[in-house]
Amino acid sequence: MTLEPNIPGAAPLVRLTGITKKFGAVTVLRDVQFECRAHEVHVLAGENGAGKSTLVKILAGLYNDFEGIREINGRVAVIHQELSLIEAMSVADNIFLGRTPARCGFVRQAQQEEAARHWVGQLGLEIDVRQPVENFPVAVRQLIEIAKALSQDARVIVMDEPTSALNAPEVTRLFGLIQSLKERGCAIIYITHKMEEIERIADRITVLRDGQWVGSAPAAELPPAKLIQWMVGRELGEQFPRRAPPLGKERLRLENFSVPPSVKPISFSVRAGEVVGLGGLQGSGASELFFGLFGACGSRTEGTVQLDGETVRFVSPPQAIASGVGLLTNDRKATGLVLSLSVTANATLAGLRQLSPLGWRSPARERAAAEKMTGPMRLRAASLDMEVGALSGGNQQKVALAKWWQTRPRLLLLDEPTRGIDVGAKREIYQLMDEWSAQGIAILLITSEMPELLTLSDRIIVLHRGRVTAELTRAQATPEIVLAAAMGQASA
Amino acid sequence: MRKLFVRIFTILAFTLLAGCNDSKTSGPHQFTIGMSQCNLGEPWRVQMDQDIRTAAAQHPELKVVFKDAQNDTLKQRAHVEEFVSAKVDLLIISPKEAQPLTEPVARAMEAGIPVIVLDRSVLGDKYTCFIGADNKKIGKAAGQWIVKKLGGHGKVVELEGLMTSTPGQDRHNGFREGIAGSGIDVIFVADMKWLEPEARQEMESALARFDHIDLVYAHNDPGAHGAYLAAQAAGRTNIAFVGIDALPQEGVPYVQQGILDATFRYPTGGAEAIDTALKILHHEPVPKQIVLGTRLFDRSNVAQGGEPLP
Amino acid sequence: MNPFTRGKSFLGSAVGRALIALVLVFIAGVIFNADGAFYKIGTHRDTLRQASVYGILACGMTLVIISGGIDLAVGSVVALTAVCAAKMAIHWNWPAWEAVPATLAVGAACGLAAGLVTAVWRVQPFIATLAMMVFARGLAKYASGGMKVSPAIQNADGTYRYVEVPPLFRAIDHRILGDNLSIVTVIFVACAALSWIALSKHRWGRYLYAIGGNEEAARLSGVPVISAKTFAYVASGLLAAVAGLCQAAQEQQGDPEAGAGYELTAIAMVVIGGTNLMGGRGGIGLTLLGVLTIGYLDKILSINAVPEAGRLMLSGIIIVAAVLTQRRSRT
Repeated sequence: MTLEPNIPGAAPLVRLTGITKKFGAVTVLRDVQFECRAHEVHVLAGENGAGKSTLVKILAGLYNDFEGIREINGRVAVIHQELSLIEAMSVADNIFLGRTPARCGFVRQAQQEEAARHWVGQLGLEIDVRQPVENFPVAVRQLIEIAKALSQDARVIVMDEPTSALNAPEVTRLFGLIQSLKERGCAIIYITHKMEEIERIADRITVLRDGQWVGSAPAAELPPAKLIQWMVGRELGEQFPRRAPPLGKERLRLENFSVPPSVKPISFSVRAGEVVGLGGLQGSGASELFFGLFGACGSRTEGTVQLDGETVRFVSPPQAIASGVGLLTNDRKATGLVLSLSVTANATLAGLRQLSPLGWRSPARERAAAEKMTGPMRLRAASLDMEVGALSGGNQQKVALAKWWQTRPRLLLLDEPTRGIDVGAKREIYQLMDEWSAQGIAILLITSEMPELLTLSDRIIVLHRGRVTAELTRAQATPEIVLAAAMGQASA
Repeated sequence: MRKLFVRIFTILAFTLLAGCNDSKTSGPHQFTIGMSQCNLGEPWRVQMDQDIRTAAAQHPELKVVFKDAQNDTLKQRAHVEEFVSAKVDLLIISPKEAQPLTEPVARAMEAGIPVIVLDRSVLGDKYTCFIGADNKKIGKAAGQWIVKKLGGHGKVVELEGLMTSTPGQDRHNGFREGIAGSGIDVIFVADMKWLEPEARQEMESALARFDHIDLVYAHNDPGAHGAYLAAQAAGRTNIAFVGIDALPQEGVPYVQQGILDATFRYPTGGAEAIDTALKILHHEPVPKQIVLGTRLFDRSNVAQGGEPLP
Repeated sequence: MNPFTRGKSFLGSAVGRALIALVLVFIAGVIFNADGAFYKIGTHRDTLRQASVYGILACGMTLVIISGGIDLAVGSVVALTAVCAAKMAIHWNWPAWEAVPATLAVGAACGLAAGLVTAVWRVQPFIATLAMMVFARGLAKYASGGMKVSPAIQNADGTYRYVEVPPLFRAIDHRILGDNLSIVTVIFVACAALSWIALSKHRWGRYLYAIGGNEEAARLSGVPVISAKTFAYVASGLLAAVAGLCQAAQEQQGDPEAGAGYELTAIAMVVIGGTNLMGGRGGIGLTLLGVLTIGYLDKILSINAVPEAGRLMLSGIIIVAAVLTQRRSRT
């Protein structure tokens, strides 16, 4: 069955009309329409909770109980943010998972490997397909997923936040690949929060808001400001105005501080109320630096650390926390939150010592503390007792941040605080950071989103392979200089 | 240079030759006996080794080497092979199972080592002497004693040992034979696996179910003791208890203290094994099978050390 | 929420699911009541008595499982502490206030060793406690000389003299409330209450849930992982010592072979109660339901004199069936 095009141009591969989906009493999608053609990169934009992932699931055929019409011409493959590869199995096994070529049940190993090599090679990748997936970095794993999709002869490929774990050169490679897939006749449905990506690759953009279809238009007709307005529903001023608070005394001083082998001896300082952004690409050592400062690397660190003039040495997280240091990790599900515990439990976890001085807990005190912390964050959760695992990504991140607020820190280490979060929630988090630094907290920030880095930081320190390659003030920093330094070209 | 070489060679040769000598000839008629025990988990087997030790202590020319196979058949095979390589003068073995140990024992015989088999038999007849008690006979004796005690009729609870083991089956079958034809009614049977806590639990169930119980027959003394404790706790003091094993630190004092009404010794055969071993080592003839009798310990004869039964 | 939906959501909750299994067992007891034996008070008192030793172990096991680990050594520690208690009370004539703390110390020491190996040297709990299981069993046999430590004491010349069962043992294996409640049941309830308080009212309990749910996240949130985990094993060893004391008192002797397989029964009770073996979820209340379920199941099979083979097969099937009803419905 072929779909007739509504608009002159390539034939639509996907057409969804009047889609309404309810989960019990909650209507997640209401009368949504969506059309996507071959040779097109179609960005699906919207805040968290707008209904994008539900729409994608309906597209992929995972839900069958919905109202409306679904017309698909060709196979749909979805590549999620959390890749669905089995780490311990080889690349070839993963690509052909469920379709293993076999004779009488015995796997035809050689045939499978050759086919896997073919598909992986289509993406310009030369790897040993017999190696287990876990041996490869995230960027390569993503390409393996795409190879898997191609090998299934998918005409429609959905990519959900594919670049969140990639560095700039890897993103460029991905985009080049998307381009060639486009030329081949595929339709790419691309979900992202990153404005610069939308500007770069989108042909058409569809915006959802609160489960409803706001509009679809060619990218040329949707400049960023208008796009944000469609997504958020109001005119957003320029990116984010950061108050420049008065800076206090020196809060943190590092002298030849190193975390072998990823972080070479570094020296810099941060003042109270200052936000220092750490720029860098994957492998820069920034996250390891945070771990070392936080005491999470045990006694592997070397060099001197001074907090408010006092020399300290943390060999365990409880020591760091007691001295007023907090660390927000870059992977909230794996290292930031205990998904099986409630919001209150997670929010009070780091400060449990202060909330229960003699060891005996008071549920009333914990609840009050959790409410106090999560209130200003506009946490969207049915109740503070629900399991954190049931919240959306943005709300989970807010809980993770709330946890550190309880400990009354003087130094906050934030590693990718807005990863995987929608625009509205991002603003809220920027607001929080603003308030906190106004109260005198020193913040060290790692972020891979250039606009965020440039907007939020009072100073930027760029790391490349564990060394400082640039130290820039807000005025001096431009994307080009930062990127150059991140790739290894040290500035004077 | 050549002289040095000859001297070294001579010294080495002497050392080798000296090592070839049996340790037997180093003292006045020293005999080494290897004792392969299948496990030392059961106190009864600990008693068996102890009995052998005590009996051997009275004969200074005997040296006994004990090995414990920890209830592992393969380990016991290895132990027998080790004894054969060490060329012991005699092997005593209490095998875990008959089939797997038959061949190693036969090979020991072929190597010229006499073998005494204790308590559990091997297949065939490639051994010197088998010494053991007869669980069926004991069970039957118990049954007959119970018939006499209850005057021919009564309600009895039977608490069985692990019924997948031969002793359990024999003590059960013998008992049933002993009470056949009488008015004894076995109202409750449960497998307490030789364990006291299990026996206590089963006895509690029996007490809950039946208001009238005359006697409890347990396949071993710990089982009878557990049943006794359950009955005491329930306030049912008019029940008699009979057990088997009569270990000197367990069953016999139970009778002395009035906990059990009777127990039957299941002899270890340790002392008899040493007696027979001495005969074999002095080249005297021994019977192929020695069936050990049992001793009855009840309130009337416990002070005199029980009485032997035919 | 109307009563029907409220009822449905209760049945869907963890407590509700555990109750279903227990109710089904009770119904089976009513059907197969063995000439009314199931209805006697004595039967219920005896069921609780029999289940108490396992129940005490299940409390410690709950703590360890919630923290993401497992303790296979508890059965052997029961034997070791039973032997120690018997030796102290019977052979050496120690009074209760000396024998009890010393016995508890032995259990705690075993737990401490296993806990340190797990938490500090990062050996998998399965392996570390398996090793302790074997070691403690060996130690029990060594300390007892391979024989049961009973009121029959061997003299130097090979004869035996007999002493009284110590008052400590008599006090434990005793009944109160007009013979309707065993002291060991009271001890079990006390252990359960203490464990519950620690788990839900103390900071340490929250730490255990966090560690079991996501150990790395807990560590990076400042939870003292090593000490909290180690203490869970110490607690388990301590509770095993209490169980060992009860075991020795009820047998009136210390048996180095005691407790074999008890750890598996304890684990079964925890699992049937609904505590997740992966860690991070569950609680003592659920375990209590599991203790009762398995305790009554055992009793019903016993009063009906079901033969051994049948009991084993039935128990196996029922355990799997109970766990299947535990599965959380996917919404």
